[in-house]
Amino acid sequence: MEKICCIDNGACNIKIGNITDEKPLVIPNCIMKAKSEKRRPFIGNQIDECRDISGIFYILGFTKGYITNWEVQKNIYDYIFSTEFPVNFSDTKLIITEPLFNFPIIQEAMIEIFFEEYDCISLTKTTAPDLCQYQYTNTQDPDEPPLCCVVIDVGYSFSHIVPFVKGKKVLSAIRRIDIGGKLLTNHLKEVISYRFLNVMDESFVINQMKEDSCFVSQDFNADMAMAKKKYPENKTIREYVLPDCTTIRRGYLQTPGTAKKGDDYQVIRLNNERFTVPELLFHPSDLGINQMGIAEATVDAINACPEETRPHLYANIIVMGGSSKFPGIRNRLQKDIRSMAPEIFTVSVSIPDDDPLTYAWYGSQFLANDPEFDNLSISRQDYEENGVRGVLNENDAQ
Amino acid sequence: MATRESGRIRDVEKKRVLDDLTRRRRARKALEALEQDNFHEDPHADLVMSKKIPKFNNSLDNPRKKGRKSRGADYYRIKYRKTFQQLLEEDRQLNADGPNYSTAQAPETNYPQRHFCAVCGFPSSYTCVSCGTRFCCLKCQATHQDTRCLKFVS
Ligand SMILES: [Zn+2]
Ligand SMILES: [Zn+2]
Repeated sequence: MEKICCIDNGACNIKIGNITDEKPLVIPNCIMKAKSEKRRPFIGNQIDECRDISGIFYILGFTKGYITNWEVQKNIYDYIFSTEFPVNFSDTKLIITEPLFNFPIIQEAMIEIFFEEYDCISLTKTTAPDLCQYQYTNTQDPDEPPLCCVVIDVGYSFSHIVPFVKGKKVLSAIRRIDIGGKLLTNHLKEVISYRFLNVMDESFVINQMKEDSCFVSQDFNADMAMAKKKYPENKTIREYVLPDCTTIRRGYLQTPGTAKKGDDYQVIRLNNERFTVPELLFHPSDLGINQMGIAEATVDAINACPEETRPHLYANIIVMGGSSKFPGIRNRLQKDIRSMAPEIFTVSVSIPDDDPLTYAWYGSQFLANDPEFDNLSISRQDYEENGVRGVLNENDAQ
Repeated sequence: MATRESGRIRDVEKKRVLDDLTRRRRARKALEALEQDNFHEDPHADLVMSKKIPKFNNSLDNPRKKGRKSRGADYYRIKYRKTFQQLLEEDRQLNADGPNYSTAQAPETNYPQRHFCAVCGFPSSYTCVSCGTRFCCLKCQATHQDTRCLKFVS
């Protein structure tokens, strides 16, 4: 029996599983080195075995969202395919995601590596927003499946607004905002280092701090006013307990003054940092990046689509991606887009209840059942007969 | 209060003032720093063993089938190792009209720029005369001058 395996190849995490699996495995897409462990690097989720997570050094295959170092990426694949998620390439068709507007040479490299190095029998390239579109349109009201939708993909390297009309991306209307999880973590790191304590070497820990502490403001000026107050009137202020390498494995948030006598952990007081960091998604210009934020760019993208599609697009906006997990993001998008959209249109923004990070992966089962699936795929025979350039041109024409 | 402040501003004006180009270069460097994967050096860089880690086909757990011969690390390194800038340039030439990476960039915002104090993060109404950094109060201004301002200018 042939299997179909979907690899959602994010710059931060790989989501992998056979499309019939209940859920995908999520594996960090990087090699990490620890100060404390000079003997070995940690590939993917091997980092769970590392006792001291301070000063983690990252090696990534991606630059600005695109694979530029295949040695690193191949090493991570080798580890995953042999240890974490063994794949028998001779009876498994692969679906793999690539970034939007992927550069031709990177597409070539990917095809060549999977056919030459892994001997795969069939490869289907797609994008995470495409998979998200499949998942979304196939899980709404079956009597009236949406004709159009807009995917807001808040990723690690950047964020994209991608309108779909009848299952196809409107390429000329796609908008990219150069803000993603990595920049937000680096910014938080910068701010903490300047205001409180030098954590410039601690991306790993500060990324967790960001995930544990930050939220999207619903009323920015009101939240700023609140943050100006002194505790306890100030309802925003929290302490983040930093991990040590013995008892506290992961940091956590607590209300100020929780520490008991004898606690010797280190805390950082977080106040406006909790919401000014995710705010950059809505106002990149706060940091001097002269681009629209995700809400404004959504309206701009919809305005670039045919007029008759706009009411459908506004009514079917879906948020996904690893960096869309900040509490409050859906409500804020709903509010901001509502205020910018023409009044006659219904605006509806939704976010997956369970996990915006893996949501796209689930769409692979619908892609595999698409009558067009075989046409979208590159078979081994195609590859052998036409070579990498040939299959790429053929694939592009579709 | 008002006199003290103008006194300070007079002091500042005697100091060096950064020109526009330097200010912009500084701003660009700050943004570039936010793209970095690491701020520190590779902790194992001095170790010989770490050199042999990310290699293509000599990894022990390579799941590829026997029979087909790997093209080897060098093949891919030579053929595919282009920097992001090179890829972008190439794309602009091959596909000048788009849609592509360059054309997809979100346009400038229509909302007015907001300003925040570089020291404490709260809304700011003042600009440092020397370097253009924003601050919100005298205390933050002093911190800024003591820690950053012209400190990193050669
Ligand atoms: Zn201030
Ligand atoms: Zn200054």
